Amino acid sequence: MDISEAAERISQKITSHGHPADKASIESKLTRLVNEFGVPPAEAERTVLNELAREFSITTFQAAGGPGDQKTLGQVQNGEWVTVECKVVALTSAPSPSIAQAGILADNSGAMRFVVWARANAPALAAGKWYRFESAVVDQYKGMLSLKVHSGTTVTEIPHEGALKPAITPIRDLSPGVVCIRGKVVQEWEATHDRILQSGMIADETGGIRFVMWKEEGRERLSPGGVFTIFYATADEFNSRLSLTLNPATIVPEEGDIPVSTGNASFQGAFIHLAPGSGLIRRCPVEGCNRVLSRQNYCPVHEIQPQYHYDLRIKGWLDNGIETREILVQRGETERLVEMNLDQARELAENNPLGMDEVFMKFREALLGRYLACQGRVIENRMLVSACEILHYQPEQLADLLNRAGGSL
Amino acid sequence: MTGGGAAGRKEGIFEREPARRVFAVELKESRIHFKEGQDEKSPTYVLLPTGERCNRVFIAGTLTEKRRQGEQNMFYRARVVDPTGTFFVMAGSYQPEAMQQVARLEPPTFVAVVGKPNVYQAPDGAALISIRCESITQIDKDIRDQWVLDTAKATLDRIDTAGQTPDGERAKREYNIDPALFRKVAYEALTQLKI
Repeated sequence: MDISEAAERISQKITSHGHPADKASIESKLTRLVNEFGVPPAEAERTVLNELAREFSITTFQAAGGPGDQKTLGQVQNGEWVTVECKVVALTSAPSPSIAQAGILADNSGAMRFVVWARANAPALAAGKWYRFESAVVDQYKGMLSLKVHSGTTVTEIPHEGALKPAITPIRDLSPGVVCIRGKVVQEWEATHDRILQSGMIADETGGIRFVMWKEEGRERLSPGGVFTIFYATADEFNSRLSLTLNPATIVPEEGDIPVSTGNASFQGAFIHLAPGSGLIRRCPVEGCNRVLSRQNYCPVHEIQPQYHYDLRIKGWLDNGIETREILVQRGETERLVEMNLDQARELAENNPLGMDEVFMKFREALLGRYLACQGRVIENRMLVSACEILHYQPEQLADLLNRAGGSL
Repeated sequence: MTGGGAAGRKEGIFEREPARRVFAVELKESRIHFKEGQDEKSPTYVLLPTGERCNRVFIAGTLTEKRRQGEQNMFYRARVVDPTGTFFVMAGSYQPEAMQQVARLEPPTFVAVVGKPNVYQAPDGAALISIRCESITQIDKDIRDQWVLDTAKATLDRIDTAGQTPDGERAKREYNIDPALFRKVAYEALTQLKI
């Protein structure tokens, strides 16, 4: 924002109320705030305007800041005062009495969340209609931009020709914000909370992302294996991993199938170490927790939990001679690899003086030294294995190696 | 990728030492051992004659003999044989789990061993190398045969890249062994497998 433009805007507002305005002095105040005190220009403009307003006892400003440049949603940045023309594509319930309306706005360049403050006295927005927002403020929360409609914002409904064409983002390129994707539901996970309708992973040819859909009227589970175009879902970041929230997205089932990559890596090697915490484990029963309990049934968060539930897993190292990778295998693949199911493991533990250690030792005998091929997602050198095969001797490799070793004898 | 060079160890990031695949004949020839860094916990390495540093090995073969030794500080000495020669494996009281595993095994049987190689000076001045066992488990012939393929491939890979790495250069200087020897070792190990 140019300081002299801001000064011009302020002096116009003051003079429009019939008061004299000294543009040079306004400009020097702005310059001082911005250059000496590092105040963001928009905030400096507001400060100076408010100061003059108090001086002249003006209380009826339409906009406390400049109207801002007219921009598309794809252009706006954190901290800007902007004027945008866009469509209300979704309305969500207001989470607080100080919020009149919340939802998602979109134009052809992008989409973002918006909030209309209760004190804004703005007209009620209707989903599906286009509006011009003059002097709205863009701010940022957890990396996501959001448009704030406040008492200084002028909202007018506008006619709009032509349909909105939302841009589909490849999953690999997603960043926090409101996004549209097309992908396939490749995994469905057990709900960890009773408010979750469904959670899992959705993937396209560039990668995969976890998703969650909260229980809400009219929401239906996505069928696993189905392909969907999802308009205006929210991608947010948690523990430096992106996750997609499907409320209040619009979900359109698609015909056919698409090739997917779930960020999958594969790794082959010998299983050389079974780490503690493998075998039969007890998990915390508190909803959404599921942490592994210590021997004394102690959960690091929920303390003693005698009503635990059992689970099976493998933690260990896979090594190809060049690189060692930590792997984590969930119950389904674990049962297949060690040829022991959860009930058998429990029985073994209950009828043996060593208890769960006996299961650990059986796991070790079944796994150590085995050559495995694993597929899964890699996070910080640890692979969360989704599929795993025990490898076998392949005579055709022998022929190749004999040629290679004997070639220059 | 650690690639077996000093460059593979990144500052401040813990990287597990990979378990190298090496035939008994080659490990037996290894005498050079050294420590990277001044820290007490810095890893120690054995330099393989084919030109790769090695802090941990993964071997598979036939457990032919095990002997309990010592009274106060009991430990097991075991011999594991691959198609090229014999590995000497030790499991002492610092590796209680490995010791219990050895105790349960009845030779002869196929085993997979993960452990750390150590070089000792014999009274007559000769270098002896043994593997301090981290784990030893019974396996079947299928896995042993996979290991022979795996180890032959790793050996050939090392011979092919030795000319381009500092460790390769050092091995050439220190050992003065023609790498063709280990190519022949790999070939002979492979010929013992069935097509």
